[in-house]
Amino acid sequence: MNDEPIMLSTDVLSDDVGLIAAAGYINNEGGQAIADAATDLMGRGCDTLLIDLDGTRIINSIGVSILLEIMEKLLEEKGRLAFCNLTPTIAKTFEIMGLVQYATIYPDREAARVDLVGHAAS
Amino acid sequence: MEVVLHLPVVPNVELVAAKAVETLGSALGMDRSRVEAASVAIVEACLNAMEHGGGRMIVRVTSEGEPDRHQLVIEVEDHGEGFDPSSAPQNSPSRVIGSASKRGWGLTLIRELMDDVQIRSQPGRTLVRMCKYVESAP
Repeated sequence: MNDEPIMLSTDVLSDDVGLIAAAGYINNEGGQAIADAATDLMGRGCDTLLIDLDGTRIINSIGVSILLEIMEKLLEEKGRLAFCNLTPTIAKTFEIMGLVQYATIYPDREAARVDLVGHAAS
Repeated sequence: MEVVLHLPVVPNVELVAAKAVETLGSALGMDRSRVEAASVAIVEACLNAMEHGGGRMIVRVTSEGEPDRHQLVIEVEDHGEGFDPSSAPQNSPSRVIGSASKRGWGLTLIRELMDDVQIRSQPGRTLVRMCKYVESAP
């Protein structure tokens, strides 16, 4: 179990697709860190965000509630939220809390990239 | 095997309880996804106890059951005002999406992620007991 403070990295995959890679505990602080990264990417023109949770194995409902807020903000902007590399428990938690109704879930980053950006990584 | 923890209300102390679940669950031979489900459930129970329990909490993690049907048993006890478990609503996306309040998921997640959940609550003592079978039902 990774209980270290959350580690984040961001990237712009194309003009309008941003990537947030998050590894660690998604609690209120981890969720807020992701929200801050999402706001930054949206300010840079990314209306589609992919959140890669490879390395994240434990979450709590407060952190996921913040992810719901990110999703709502993107939907207001006619944007799109996607996730990849979810553990079965995180996927089930997202299903219970409604994230999967509005976000797209991909098995891994490459599958997400092909669908969202339209080509594989070079 | 039994672990008993007396936990203070300090940031991220719920991860101490989750670590106990991870350790005992792995020792019992639970697969990773079942351990992680139980870990999220105990995290939620601890967060509820910290928010509503009015002070320290007691966490017990043990195993029970027949040799061919072991289960991980988790108890989280707090000493707050208590509540009526039957009146605690099942949360749902339709209630939350678009609403200003996104909270209130703890018991819903616990009930969905664990195989059995019992809650006894009275003023001064609330006990959440939850079980996860070591192996999924055949």
